[in-house]
Amino acid sequence: MSSEVGDKGLKKDAIGFLDGLVIGISSTAPAYSLAAVLAIVVVGVGVQAPAVMLVSFIPMFLIASSFFYMNRADPDCGTTFSWITRALGPGIGWVGGWAVVTTGILVIGSLAQVAAFYTFDLFGAEALRDSTLANVVFTLLIIAVMTTICVLGTELSAHIQRVMIFAQVGALLLFAVVALVKGGALTFSLSWISPFAVDSTNALILGVLTGVFIYWGWESAVNLNEETEDSNSAPGLAAIASTVILLGTYVVTTIAVVSYAGLDRVAGFEDDAGIFGALATDVLGSPLDKLVVLAIITSALSSTQTTILPASRTTLSMARQGAMPEAFGRVHPRFLTPHVSTITIGVVAAVWFGVLFPLSENFVYDSLTALSLMIAFYYALNGFSCAIYYRRELTKSVKNFLFIGVGPVVGGLILTGLFFKAIIEYSKTDQSYSGSALFGVAIPVVLGVGLLLLGVVLMLVWRFGGHRPFFGRGREIVDPDVASGLKLGVAAVPEQAV
Amino acid sequence: MGTIVLGYDASPGAERALDQAVELASAFGDRLVIGFGVHPPGLGGGEGTQHREALREQAVQLTGNALQRALAAGVDAEIALVDERPAEALTGLGEQHEARLIVVGSYGESPLRGAILGSTPHKLLHLSDRPVLVVPGG
Repeated sequence: MSSEVGDKGLKKDAIGFLDGLVIGISSTAPAYSLAAVLAIVVVGVGVQAPAVMLVSFIPMFLIASSFFYMNRADPDCGTTFSWITRALGPGIGWVGGWAVVTTGILVIGSLAQVAAFYTFDLFGAEALRDSTLANVVFTLLIIAVMTTICVLGTELSAHIQRVMIFAQVGALLLFAVVALVKGGALTFSLSWISPFAVDSTNALILGVLTGVFIYWGWESAVNLNEETEDSNSAPGLAAIASTVILLGTYVVTTIAVVSYAGLDRVAGFEDDAGIFGALATDVLGSPLDKLVVLAIITSALSSTQTTILPASRTTLSMARQGAMPEAFGRVHPRFLTPHVSTITIGVVAAVWFGVLFPLSENFVYDSLTALSLMIAFYYALNGFSCAIYYRRELTKSVKNFLFIGVGPVVGGLILTGLFFKAIIEYSKTDQSYSGSALFGVAIPVVLGVGLLLLGVVLMLVWRFGGHRPFFGRGREIVDPDVASGLKLGVAAVPEQAV
Repeated sequence: MGTIVLGYDASPGAERALDQAVELASAFGDRLVIGFGVHPPGLGGGEGTQHREALREQAVQLTGNALQRALAAGVDAEIALVDERPAEALTGLGEQHEARLIVVGSYGESPLRGAILGSTPHKLLHLSDRPVLVVPGG
């Protein structure tokens, strides 16, 4: 029982490892993510799609390690922003935070729209499902409801999400097992999970670019930090465990889909996230097929919510460290949540989607391609930050060297490579849904690189508008006692920054 | 000398609860503990240090005003910021100080609205082993 002003004691039983695990998985929205990318990967690499799912996991796993250790040193809700600022300095930290917030804003509408689309589908309302207006209206409604829930800080969310996530993974695995037992177009062979069996390296790299997207979001389990029991290691462990569960689900489900439906049929869904809805009816029959549709709806809904949260917590942390207008750092006296941040994120996401979706659905799909670029950007920075922040600890043990140094750096290098490869490949207009280009460069690259550059510009504007306490901060290094586990990281912001 | 615990968040109900608590504390010659739960809510991810600090700063400001008013009325008073959700924070303070009673303000909204928004008085009535006085916001 802690009760004094200034007491840093944490509430220990707020949320356990299991909840961290659940939130890590539901933020990645496995059912939705797989539905969105499976066909694209199959078109690229054929039966080796499961191998791509495996290979995509490697950089993510390495970066998970950097989240784990940075969270141990600085369990702040600003995560990536706060960590990059400490290790690499305020300017680049600001852009890292910007990337986290922008990716959230870009994807919230698309997630909510998948929930809207499949809800119409579930109730057989085909006219509504195919109407742009109905989709936009329902999507905006979902964003509004989810934003409200985030402002109210409802205590139900962990329990609801626990049920939803088990239903989601359960439905996917049920579908996969039945499809495998029934058998179909192709027979599984071990070469499907061998990345070396992929014909061209280029196809493999492009597959991984897409595949990386499906593991995105799991770091929300780390964002829980102080909420969790044993806060300096449970969230990190939850993040790693959730990645392993995701890996299993993705590989098994991909094998099931490819073997059941065959390459041609899967390829038909390249521009369509409806793949599971269509296959589920064949595999499970009615009414069990509705389970899979429900899984996708819950997947999209829960991840709408768990995308708003980290974005708003990042702006909260940025505001309080003097990197954004003060209003974003305000908390509501009754609900105790950062209401200004949360509502702003919800409104901007709604406007982005509400304006662009009716104009061009393809543009919205292109914005999702742009996400891979921005995700690779801030994940890579995170990996490098970890090794730099801990640089004096790396030679103290083999474990430190491998997990804090080599792992995150290799992960960062892979993602940096993917970042530039993506710019080259996506610059070709045939890689874009809208097929259109600005200045001779395809939309996804214009968006991805453009938004990062906009971040740099805004950072400079903010910098030259004063705010010296933040921009005057020097680079820091981890406290050796925190690194060796003698002391808990408490994430104190340097005095001059407050 | 006994203790009275007050939950205070500067809402209209809380203002009236403060008046009531000060009156009772004077009458009994009790000490007043002004409590505020500063645990970040929402289990969906991303609650960390900065959020906690923001809540703490706000709590210090809000309860500070209440403290001044209580002291001005001649009541012995102190502030207690607790790293718990509001209802748990107040029951905990009640136990800790073996409080005579816990005083809170209500928002005066319908039970349904209270259930959706999360009503601290409602939770407190269920959680507390001690007498609870709920003062309507008017």
